[in-house]
Amino acid sequence: MAKIIPEKEIPSLASELTKTHTVYAPVIKGDETVFSEINDSAEIALNYSQTPLPPKMYFLPANEELFKVVDDELQKAGGIKPFIVFLNLKDLKAVNYLDKIMQKEPADTFYLQRRSVSTLVATTESAVGSHNGSDLTLEKRNNSTYLAHSFTEKGNKILKSSLFKEAPIPEKSAQEPLPNHFDELLLDSGLLAQAVEWSRENSPSTWEALGKICLSCGICTYVCPLCFCTSTEDKTSIDGSECTRCRKWDACTLPRFAQVAGGHNFRPTQKDRYYNWFYHKFVRAYKEFGQAQCVACGRCQKYCPAGIDIEKILTRLVEDYKKAHTKKT
Amino acid sequence: MKNKPKIAIFDFTDCEGCEVALVSLREKLVEIATETEIVNWRLAQKKADDGPYDIVLIEGTPITQTEIDTLKFLRGQTKILVGLGSCATLAGIPGIIDKEARSGWYEKIYGKDYKPRGIDALPLSAYVLVDYSIHGCPVDKSELLRVIQELLAGKTPKNPGYSVCFECKLAGNPCRLLDKKPCLGPITAGGCGAICIKGGSPCYGCFGIRQDAQVDNLVMTLRKFSDPAKIENYFSMFLKKTPEYKKLFDNKKERNGKP
Ligand code: SF4
Ligand code: SF4
Ligand code: SF4
Ligand code: SF4
Ligand code: SF4
Repeated sequence: MAKIIPEKEIPSLASELTKTHTVYAPVIKGDETVFSEINDSAEIALNYSQTPLPPKMYFLPANEELFKVVDDELQKAGGIKPFIVFLNLKDLKAVNYLDKIMQKEPADTFYLQRRSVSTLVATTESAVGSHNGSDLTLEKRNNSTYLAHSFTEKGNKILKSSLFKEAPIPEKSAQEPLPNHFDELLLDSGLLAQAVEWSRENSPSTWEALGKICLSCGICTYVCPLCFCTSTEDKTSIDGSECTRCRKWDACTLPRFAQVAGGHNFRPTQKDRYYNWFYHKFVRAYKEFGQAQCVACGRCQKYCPAGIDIEKILTRLVEDYKKAHTKKT
Repeated sequence: MKNKPKIAIFDFTDCEGCEVALVSLREKLVEIATETEIVNWRLAQKKADDGPYDIVLIEGTPITQTEIDTLKFLRGQTKILVGLGSCATLAGIPGIIDKEARSGWYEKIYGKDYKPRGIDALPLSAYVLVDYSIHGCPVDKSELLRVIQELLAGKTPKNPGYSVCFECKLAGNPCRLLDKKPCLGPITAGGCGAICIKGGSPCYGCFGIRQDAQVDNLVMTLRKFSDPAKIENYFSMFLKKTPEYKKLFDNKKERNGKP
């Protein structure tokens, strides 16, 4: 026997959960699907492809007050109400990867605190095997029914809802989604790392050209579910009695990012800054974690106002790299 | 108790909208007035002491010779001089008209015998050293507060290093450029909350050009759906008196019309 839930009951589940948790889920707004706080039985866009802002904003807010010093005494930010995020498998994978990055010493305790009070509910049309990093995954089996897979205590708690019914596992008739070209590219993170690193010296024209297109607006970084860079600043109250430490999302494509005291900038041109974005995602992340810092969600290319498409760039770099290396042997 | 810093606020040619923003800080303004001494502010009080001052905030564009002389005099009277709002920091709306066009209009409106007092609308920085510019038309209240707090804490404030796009994305606006509509957000310093985009208009750059902005790259993107004359128009709303504008549009003949 397994636990199943009819598709039409999932919004009711979300609204039931709002009694004990803040619930965030993808909902349709105008032409877009966006993450939003759920009140009552909002329609949930279970099968979204990508939202402009990624779920990282719930664990690493775009603007955050970390702590305050009031009259020389430290005050931590208030407790965070437990929350639940409904998300797809790519976004889930991104959160799992971000967890690894943030746990690395020095660990980001502010991020980890938010993660500890959060529950991840993934929805998917793919067959679910072993623990995938979610607390609960709802797998679409046919037109009207989802099968629940709980992996943690937090998941088990949600399963107690009477909206789930005991039933034999329904026959799978929902179509298994096929990996696209971008997903396939990411299967070989090692090759991507080699191609990107190789291109700096061997395909400078690629980066020259991109340096002449990129607007350094930072959007690709803000929308990326895996970019995690922030900048910190202190706000002092007018009478000087209160000082608040704040942090904000930052982007390595922005000029001030690599600038250090004294005004020296380590990546002085847009070409260098743009290359760094690639270098961090595909080379440094691979060396550090054995995996590209990308889940092929497609956000950066969809929302880049200059139309820069990283899938195309990666495809070309890999082709050029392979060509150069077969010629030599 | 240490001496409270002396603040003075002056205005030149403008709409006084930024001073209104200052007034509407309300209780925060009261706090500022408690921690400092506002010794001269024509718009809000009778007290009008002479210098020297610690901080002078100047709103508006100096257009007449008297205003230019006053500005130079005030520079000598204060430790810190701050431009308040885009009229002061960029020449803003008064700067839309060129020097030549200005005299043409004077003649058309007031007749041949009129002796105009206005010379040209240039930002404060064309005449004196400006220590800090609070851009915006009008200035954003929280930015204004941030700068004042930092000045009082003895820090050197910095303009936001990110673009309007940051706040625009957070606000959930659809991106205009993706919809083939003009926007100067990517080259403009953030801090305004992307209010114009929220209201359905383009960003015209009133918060000033961001450090190391990719102006040429943006012009290339705009060129995909907009003609050069229109692009020049977007830039001339607030940025006409900036070096970037001059580079793009003022000597375009020599460069075969290519920006
Ligand atoms: S979104 Fe596009 S234009 Fe903006 S910084 Fe990223 S690559 Fe450059
Ligand atoms: S596709 Fe772009 S936005 Fe998505 S994870 Fe990869 S780099 Fe980030
Ligand atoms: S790509 Fe840039 S913004 Fe993204 S995580 Fe790496 S360094 Fe930070
Ligand atoms: S609408 Fe303008 S400010 Fe907003 S994201 Fe697009 S380019 Fe940036
Ligand atoms: S969106 Fe642009 S024009 Fe509008 S207030 Fe902000 S900076 Fe100024």
